[in-house]
Amino acid sequence: MNIDWLDAFLISGLFQVAMVTGLALLLHLQLGLARIANFGVVGFWGIGMYVFGVLYVKVDWPFGDPWQFLASAAIATFVAGVAGLLIGWLISDLNTDGVLVGTLGFATAVQILATTEDDFTGGALGMGGLDFPFDIGRVKDNEFLWLVIMVAVVAAILLYVWRVHRSPYGRLLIAVGGNEPLVRSLGKSTFRAKLWLFVVGSAGMGLLGAMNGVMVHYLDVGNVGVGVTLAAMVGLVLGGTARVWGGVVGVILTVGLFDIVVQSYLPLPEEWYSQAIPVLREAAFGLTLMLVLLFRPLGLLGDMRRDKLMGRIHGR
Amino acid sequence: MVADVVGAEAAVPAEAVTRPRIRVQGAVKSFSGRVVVDVDDLVLGDRPIQGLIGPNGAGKTTLMRMIMHSTSLDRGRIALLLASGGEVALSALPPNRMAGHGVVKSNQVIMDFDKLTIWDSLLLAVAEARYEQPHRIASERTVFDRHEGQIREYLEYFGFADPAAFAMSAGEKKLLDIVRCLLLRPTFLLLDEPTAGLPEELTEKVMAVVRDLAAGGTSVVIVEHDLNVIWSLCDEVLFMAEGSVILRGDPQAIRENRTVVEKYLGEGHV
Ligand SMILES: Nc1ncnc2c1ncn2[C@@H]1O[C@H](COP(=O)(O)OP(=O)(O)OP(=O)(O)O)[C@@H](O)[C@H]1O
Ligand SMILES: [Mg+2]
Repeated sequence: MNIDWLDAFLISGLFQVAMVTGLALLLHLQLGLARIANFGVVGFWGIGMYVFGVLYVKVDWPFGDPWQFLASAAIATFVAGVAGLLIGWLISDLNTDGVLVGTLGFATAVQILATTEDDFTGGALGMGGLDFPFDIGRVKDNEFLWLVIMVAVVAAILLYVWRVHRSPYGRLLIAVGGNEPLVRSLGKSTFRAKLWLFVVGSAGMGLLGAMNGVMVHYLDVGNVGVGVTLAAMVGLVLGGTARVWGGVVGVILTVGLFDIVVQSYLPLPEEWYSQAIPVLREAAFGLTLMLVLLFRPLGLLGDMRRDKLMGRIHGR
Repeated sequence: MVADVVGAEAAVPAEAVTRPRIRVQGAVKSFSGRVVVDVDDLVLGDRPIQGLIGPNGAGKTTLMRMIMHSTSLDRGRIALLLASGGEVALSALPPNRMAGHGVVKSNQVIMDFDKLTIWDSLLLAVAEARYEQPHRIASERTVFDRHEGQIREYLEYFGFADPAAFAMSAGEKKLLDIVRCLLLRPTFLLLDEPTAGLPEELTEKVMAVVRDLAAGGTSVVIVEHDLNVIWSLCDEVLFMAEGSVILRGDPQAIRENRTVVEKYLGEGHV
């Protein structure tokens, strides 16, 4: 296949869009259905990325790629899931403010750990040695294939989320988000529902983090900042927290617009890229968030429509 | 204080059918220093349908919420005495374990899921926990097929206008709350003003369901201010004031009791 029209910028831009879409979809189950505002997305994602990186680079595996990648990524996903279990347990009884502080604090702790545990992570200097689990030729070909794999993973997450909306589990999550005491009076453990929600969501975020590590080759604590959470959150809120496609639409319009159109096609001065652009990006996302919450709080796609959905799957 | 018993036959359980009962012992609840419920020793469920009446603020709702453990007890113990003879310490269980033991309560104040349709809400009530796990994303059909008939029966019986839509009126939400309770197949049902705000015809239907349920072995305790419901439905009436049940007996006796007339019904009622 001829991929000459794709430049490195575009590939990494598209990769970002796909990855953040994946995060936004997982966040949608938490925020859009169960109404739990998880501000620790980057923490789970970062755990996945760093656990993967350390395992992949530092462990003397008895086998090579792709098994080395698969084993490291599987463990990283699992560890992120366990982190989700702990955080989910911690916040399950807290109110909105408590959840915000708890998840945000967790993400900060992950970043601090990545910085201070420099024997493992390389600390502030970062850690290299990550690579694609395959080699099909030019760097660009490898990156393109990795992009395709990422898109496939995100499509699988989208399909999962779509099915959740059409399942008893999704109904339970919506009910938990709507009236928790009432759910409990129906004999259902909202505690368990929330734990599982966090386990699955965090594991997925961890996997996406591990895959990001492969793409960037080099782990830098500067990348494990609140910007990742912000991107997923803003994209989701813009598209509509309660809708399956909300994250997809919103992330394309935010990350897509900024990371691809602004960065690749606007003639910005070269020296902006390292310093000004990340700041500009966060400012733009923050502004978008405020505008959406002010003028269209339910997002572009609007509110969930269970009456239509139920009509479609069960008839009248 | 132990409740006075008025009316002769109430002291002896009138029936052979053994029903689940609930025993409340030394249960106290206060809000900001004011004692709202203080029940020394109370057994509910001796008779199929018991009415719990009393003036506003007597603590009827709070007592029911304490039984469900949706309000915590300051002290005391509440236990479910099973028909089979066993005992379950309800006051040591979290609220989500009550329904599993058959103890279910409807709400006085409207409780609803505003994003769920009527069908959704009822499917939620019936769905078994094993189908509500994150990996069971293909189990909707199973749950629907298992329970469709039963849900449709209730929907038709109560005549919901459009069950595929959201519950709109207060009455519809109230009714939905009751149907959710019924779908849980309670063995001990607590109803907190179930017919408040319902039109006459629906009140009759609710009463008929309650009678059926009680005939089938479920113990029912009902709080109502509509005393016509109480007099015509209940086998025994408990009168609650200032946090305790101070009087219990058959409806006729309670209706004519001087204390009840003075504290609640008002002169000239009988
Ligand atoms: N959560 C609460 N916080 C503070 N006070 C409360 C709370 N719940 C109930 N109370 C108070 O406790 C008292 C008893 O209330 P409760 O709702 O149990 O009465 P009730 O007998 O059900 O009355 P009604 O017939 O009006 O429903 C009332 O004075 C009420 O104001
Ligand atoms: Mg009340």
